[in-house]
Amino acid sequence: MQRVNGRAAVVMGPRGVIDLHQSGSAKAMLPRVHDTAAEVVFLNTSGGLTGGDVMRFSLEAQAGTRVVGTTQTAERAYAASAGTAQVCVDLSVGAGGVLDWLPQETILFEGASLARETRCEMADDAQFCCVETVVLGRAAMGERLNNVHFSDRRVVKRGARLDWIEPVQITPQVLDARASAVTLAGQRAFSTVVLLARGAEDGVERLRSVSREGVTAGVSGWDGKLVVRAMASDGWPLRRYVARILERMRGTDLPRVWQ
Amino acid sequence: MTDAAPFNSDLLTLTQWLSPAFPLGSFAYSHALELAISDGSVGDGAQLARWLEDTLRFGAGRMDAGLLVMVLRGAKVDDIADLARALAPTRERWEETFAQGTAFARTVSSMGGEAIPAMALPVAVGVAARRLSLETRDVAALYLHSFTANLVSAAVRFVPLGQTEGQRVLSGLHDVIGAVASGALGATADTLTSAALAADVTAARHEEMPVRIFKT
Repeated sequence: MQRVNGRAAVVMGPRGVIDLHQSGSAKAMLPRVHDTAAEVVFLNTSGGLTGGDVMRFSLEAQAGTRVVGTTQTAERAYAASAGTAQVCVDLSVGAGGVLDWLPQETILFEGASLARETRCEMADDAQFCCVETVVLGRAAMGERLNNVHFSDRRVVKRGARLDWIEPVQITPQVLDARASAVTLAGQRAFSTVVLLARGAEDGVERLRSVSREGVTAGVSGWDGKLVVRAMASDGWPLRRYVARILERMRGTDLPRVWQ
Repeated sequence: MTDAAPFNSDLLTLTQWLSPAFPLGSFAYSHALELAISDGSVGDGAQLARWLEDTLRFGAGRMDAGLLVMVLRGAKVDDIADLARALAPTRERWEETFAQGTAFARTVSSMGGEAIPAMALPVAVGVAARRLSLETRDVAALYLHSFTANLVSAAVRFVPLGQTEGQRVLSGLHDVIGAVASGALGATADTLTSAALAADVTAARHEEMPVRIFKT
């Protein structure tokens, strides 16, 4: 039984939009921005995800194109009576292109079942930045999740080669062990920011000096990868930290929906 | 005991490869357990056992066992080597597995085995172990045992813990090791997952420790 089915796809070239498709409850908006990079804002108009929903976003930055992709609001995954909500994000960056995929956080509610796969194919000399922030229930509401099935897989191919995989899976077994210093260390929100580009690892020191107020975080860089991993007791301090990191990393303002 | 079945020396070969005496430099790597000990998350045998169990079930244990099994089952080695490289969550984690894997490959090759290129440790062990007549699950379990024993040894030195307490922790994890090895038998590239989010943050923070004994 399918409740929501949406697909929004945008292809951007150096001089602007080349192709735009939207159907179902997926929308893509192109706000006018005064920046060298075009901005594409994706939206799920159904207001959230539940079992059986299928949402597809795709964004292509052609050769020599700079694009920032984001989402209008936080994505919410609600209790699923049956089935799993699926989100597929297909990204690509052509030669010399720059793509920043900066969706807002994903908030999971008790009973949620969500499988998300974000794939990116980038040219060897392209630049790709990606953030994912996940919040397991809202601290202010005293929510404590026990029954969540969440798979969040990010796969990046650089040239012909597999370059980055982040295969997060949160299950009731993980939530049982949430106090563990290995799994969630008792925290409710976690985030990974990754920058893939030639020489990306040179940015390590610059990001280590970003204030970590309210979060536990580490920065690592190697082989054209710059990775920031952070956790916090709730979504808000993490969101602020991620915003500080992205501002330092990108040297430009965040999309307006983030502000 | 005179009419026993012919002795399978492959078991001894694998035991030798995965023993602490095999020159991988493993003693220098703590998988960021050093920081977990420094910040007070792991301060006694019970906390060590918990940390190791969760690392096996939700983190590198499950992941490495999956990579090893895929190689033993005949997957294309270059693909799994790339997969292992892409899955490394931080620089030190990559160095830990790549440096040991490279040392393993070099040692096995110079002992007269096949030439194995530099690659992550579970992949290199998988390549070498393909020619052994052993159950896939046993190879994975012994690999995980070796990984766990090395971290127990790090904790014995750094917490510090008594030698006997360390061995008690290791024995207590045998069932978990068996379960993780069994769980890895159906591993594919799409089913390798991790929930070791805090451990990955700790691994990144380990790089920033001003004074440290371990490389990772």
